Amino acid sequence: MTRRISKYKRFLMMNPIIQFFKFIYLSIKIMVVVAGGHGGTREIN
Amino acid sequence: MSRIVILGAGIAGHVAASHLRRKLPKEHEVVVVSPNSNYQWIPSNIWVGIGRMKPKDILFPLAPLYAKKHIDYKQAKAISFYPEGDAEELKPYVLAEYVAGANKGTTEKVTYDYLINATGPKLNFEATEGLSPGKNKTHSVCTYTHADEAWNALNDLIQQMKQGKKAKILIGTGHAKATCQGAAFEYILNVEQELRRHKVRDMAQITWISNEYHLGDFGMDGMLMSYGSNIMKSSEMVEMIFEDRGISWILGVGVNKIEDGVAQYETLEGDYKTESYDFAMLIPSFSGHGFKAYNKDGKDITNKLFKGFMIVDADYTPKPYEEWSVQDWPETYQNPLYPNIFAPGIAFAPPHSISKPLKSKNGTDITPAPPRTGMPSGITAKLVADNIIEMIKHSNNELHHKGSMGNMGAACIASAGFGMTKGSGVSITTYPIVPDYNKYPDTQGRKLGKTFGTIGLAGHWLKLALHHAFIYKAKMKPFWWLIPE
Ligand SMILES: Cc1cc2nc3c(=O)[nH]c(=O)nc-3n(C[C@H](O)[C@H](O)[C@H](O)COP(=O)(O)OP(=O)(O)OC[C@H]3O[C@@H](n4cnc5c(N)ncnc54)[C@H](O)[C@@H]3O)c2cc1C
Repeated sequence: MTRRISKYKRFLMMNPIIQFFKFIYLSIKIMVVVAGGHGGTREIN
Repeated sequence: MSRIVILGAGIAGHVAASHLRRKLPKEHEVVVVSPNSNYQWIPSNIWVGIGRMKPKDILFPLAPLYAKKHIDYKQAKAISFYPEGDAEELKPYVLAEYVAGANKGTTEKVTYDYLINATGPKLNFEATEGLSPGKNKTHSVCTYTHADEAWNALNDLIQQMKQGKKAKILIGTGHAKATCQGAAFEYILNVEQELRRHKVRDMAQITWISNEYHLGDFGMDGMLMSYGSNIMKSSEMVEMIFEDRGISWILGVGVNKIEDGVAQYETLEGDYKTESYDFAMLIPSFSGHGFKAYNKDGKDITNKLFKGFMIVDADYTPKPYEEWSVQDWPETYQNPLYPNIFAPGIAFAPPHSISKPLKSKNGTDITPAPPRTGMPSGITAKLVADNIIEMIKHSNNELHHKGSMGNMGAACIASAGFGMTKGSGVSITTYPIVPDYNKYPDTQGRKLGKTFGTIGLAGHWLKLALHHAFIYKAKMKPFWWLIPE
């Protein structure tokens, strides 16, 4: 095993309070990407 | 009155059936033909495969739901397609064979006005000699039954490791042209975390084996993504995770034979090698179901409907990688010859792979097939349903709803370990799914910002929240349609 994720980064990744806000942020961000619509690629309107 | 027949009740088939039923007046018939009596939320199979969920947590029976919602359900499998009918039956139909109940073994001509083929992939284990779930110490997590068996075998090994056995675990792809690397990626990280939880991690050597040329290719040619305030390649992100978890990797190989505890594979350099293991989970190649099709005179027209999977509005002209474009990818999933037949989800034939095609020195194709994950499967099914509804309502064949994978975003929340406080997830979104190198030439075909990755506990919560949300939606509980695909 080679430590590639520092202790500080791991703390940020696993801290429930920080991650709670991340959860809200991610839910919204993912919704924006996914519900942001889709369409064709062949016709340019 | 129109009759819409949907083959398959997986993510695509069920999404199509539920939207059609909700939006179409009751005089129109919605019929689902599917051999599995249960709906399963496949993404959570990963957790069944590590014993943290039971099959019952990820499935529910279809018949009671469909009865309640006025969707006609036949527990049968499609065998052959008659898009023009035949000498006796003037309407187009699908020949289906019942697999359960009093009619088991009998066939029926299921006639339709519109047909949605959402039969997904055939799990083509036979394409790799000796690869069969539960045999030769190899397993699969592609169905809940397979995943449950995988957990039983893994649990046995964990108990042996507790007694001092050193073990080798091999996880990845079991064929040179397999897809679904994302599922194997989730499984390897979950297995690694479970070994730590059981305090046997130091007894195991864990290896990733894959047909990807780079780590993090995922059959999508890899990604350049925002990662915090940095820009990172998916290969770098996966390398970071694997090194941090002590997982080694073998890349650019096609597994071609499995013997008891030994995987034989070919490398891009043309060498033939082996890797031994005590437990393996290898994703098989996915193929079409081998359906046959006939015209009204009984002439075989299979090649007009199928190219392995179903032919739709893609550009299938063979061309070199450099000339591939997003315009090759389908937009409406409609069969060009029979405009009342559609194939969303995994059931449609892709025009080509997304990853750069590579051949070994012996001429073997070692290239991941393009993935069609849950989200595009749901989106394409919904747009097919919406187009059919408009065709019925306006009695014309114009298709207004389009959704190319070259103009569609997807989120992949890869579980990296289970647990409300110890869990983790690698959340990745990509836009578009198929890279558009003309539109985004400097960022490897994708829009940065909309293509991003992040790792942490929130990813696990998100994956768990999606599990509950999508099962709620699939059960068609109040306001289910507000949850996007
Ligand atoms: C282990 C695993 C984990 C995954 N994790 C994720 C994830 O985290 N996120 C994500 O987005 N995607 C994930 N995926 C991918 C996702 O599951 C697929 O994209 C999705 O299931 C495809 O939907 P589909 O309806 O096209 O096919 P399927 O879900 O495979 O459904 C096919 C349906 O057709 C039926 N059928 C088969 N043969 C016939 C026949 N002859 N006649 C009639 N019906 C038939 C089947 O019974 C089934 O109901 C994962 C896949 C696997 C295997």
